[in-house]
Amino acid sequence: MIGSPDPDLDLTISRVIKASPPIVWNAWTDRASLEQWWVPAPAKCRVLEMDLSPGGSFATQISENGRDFEPHMRACFLAIDPVERIVFTDALTGGWRPAERPFMTAIITLRDHPMGTEYVAHVMHSDNADRKKHVDLGFYDGWGTVAEQLATLAEQRA
Amino acid sequence: MDQYPARLSSVFQALADPTRRAVLGRLGRGPASVGELAKPFDMALPSFMKHIRLLEDSGLIRTRKRGRVRTCALEKKRFAIVEAWLSAQRAIWEGRTDRLEQFVLTAKREEDTT
Repeated sequence: MIGSPDPDLDLTISRVIKASPPIVWNAWTDRASLEQWWVPAPAKCRVLEMDLSPGGSFATQISENGRDFEPHMRACFLAIDPVERIVFTDALTGGWRPAERPFMTAIITLRDHPMGTEYVAHVMHSDNADRKKHVDLGFYDGWGTVAEQLATLAEQRA
Repeated sequence: MDQYPARLSSVFQALADPTRRAVLGRLGRGPASVGELAKPFDMALPSFMKHIRLLEDSGLIRTRKRGRVRTCALEKKRFAIVEAWLSAQRAIWEGRTDRLEQFVLTAKREEDTT
């Protein structure tokens, strides 16, 4: 069951990828493959845990500017439907243990398409207070920090 | 078609580099010439100009040439795009999906040739 989308908190990215669903599925579920695309270069990604089953841990680390690897994401898989759907959330960690800072649930779906695969990422976020925390932490791919620095910059110029 | 994601991607691409972020940081204090901006960087001028052009293409800065001096200034309107929190999250997932697509297409091409 999927609730109705909230335009302030949800985002949907959809794309037709010119490759079959099994190829896209493998790119997502193979650790070494995911490491290649999960974070923007030149940052590097390392998959610590990727237990592809409901309740399984999904944890990644990131290294920016050649520095040591730091925690990037700690999440828990909620549903794994082979070659069709991956659902994970960082509201939980491995084994359904509640996480300290719940932030988002992502639903990745793959569908057959005449051109290859219809790939959809639907990402639902928690409320404003929590998002603010994450922006402050500059947690996600460093963009939180960048956005904040820019906001400051723009304000200086106002 | 909605041009928003494309515009957003170009903005975030522009921001994804420490040199360009430093340039924006400097321009936050006011307009400056390319020569002035290039000074702190150990970089040939043509390479530096590539950064300036990318920033200009993203709409984050505008430049004006007077005589032999090109002056750069922040284009503040463009920054609003980045300030929205959800935009930042969207950019992350857009980028992630772009990279997944690229990865898959490259892997597929290699498979096709073997």
